[in-house]
Amino acid sequence: MKRSYIDLAVGVFVLIGILALGWLSVRLGKVEIWNTGGYTVTADFPSVGGLKDGSSVEIAGVEVGRVTRIALADYQARVFIAMRQGVKLQEDSIASIKTKGLIGEKYIRINPGGSEKIIPPNGKIREVEPPVDFEELLSKYIFGKV
Amino acid sequence: MTRVRVGAVALACLLTVSLGGAAWAGLPTDQLKGAIDRVIKTLEDPSLKGEGKVIDRRQAVRKIANDIFDFTEIARRSMARHWQPLTDAQRTEFVGLFGDLLERSYISKIELYGGEKILYTNERVDGDFATVGTKIITKNGTEVPVDYKMLRKSDHWMIYDVNIEGVSLVSNYRTQFNKIIQTTSYNELVTKLRTKQDELLAEDAAQRKKATPTKN
Repeated sequence: MKRSYIDLAVGVFVLIGILALGWLSVRLGKVEIWNTGGYTVTADFPSVGGLKDGSSVEIAGVEVGRVTRIALADYQARVFIAMRQGVKLQEDSIASIKTKGLIGEKYIRINPGGSEKIIPPNGKIREVEPPVDFEELLSKYIFGKV
Repeated sequence: MTRVRVGAVALACLLTVSLGGAAWAGLPTDQLKGAIDRVIKTLEDPSLKGEGKVIDRRQAVRKIANDIFDFTEIARRSMARHWQPLTDAQRTEFVGLFGDLLERSYISKIELYGGEKILYTNERVDGDFATVGTKIITKNGTEVPVDYKMLRKSDHWMIYDVNIEGVSLVSNYRTQFNKIIQTTSYNELVTKLRTKQDELLAEDAAQRKKATPTKN
């Protein structure tokens, strides 16, 4: 009787431990298991330079979404963005790939537009700015001068 | 680097200014290409060359620029969400001021054109929107990619944005306007644009004074 009581207690503790670990990995990995009611939009960039799955998408420095997938489409980079619910993107919004600091990670900054048309779920951000490739720029203006 | 970019902006405008004159319907690239040839022709016209013809030459280019650039669309996109609250009168006033600023800032640079090569690299049409990719090759071999964002108005493609080295003109002004309006007000922005316009007008007047003696 006493023995089975201890077994039960251990079992409960192990279960709590596993749940805690699970919760931790979800939190740390920033995985969205439950559908938070957001929507997906895409944007085609000539190049995405260092942008990765999970990179943040910001408006005025506030995170409003995440990059979920990057695929090749017609030799351009098609970026899939999971937007938060309630954040509306105007049809003339501009998505730019920026760098945090000088050598920091890449993220997408959205410059909201003023159009009355709103990009629907699974719609496309038409206006984009690829990241500025400093190395390429530098080499261009170093070796370009003959 | 900045100077090269300003030059590129100027050339970008140069490539597009005479597009308006073309009445035929066709692919955006065709309209662009025709435009470039016509502007270069205007700039190399012997009757418009020389210091004394600065004003005439600028007027000729500016006239074509008014036809081709969709200044209302550029202004609307640059103002973004600050465009909605404006009254029709304010909008007209703003488009005029902004158009003047763009023209005056870049037209003097367009005149620096000196035989740079222009390549047409690609074209993407998506409904009423098109992107024409070009490359300007400077005399020392530097390639500057310039993309034109065009919008179809019946059979006519008009430019609403220019991307140089991936940097968008509208995005640049949108950030600046937003900052000014949020920290001060729309009226302050108009005042700033007016001051800038006065400065450029004064420059023009100085140029005219300089030009007159050489004529005599």
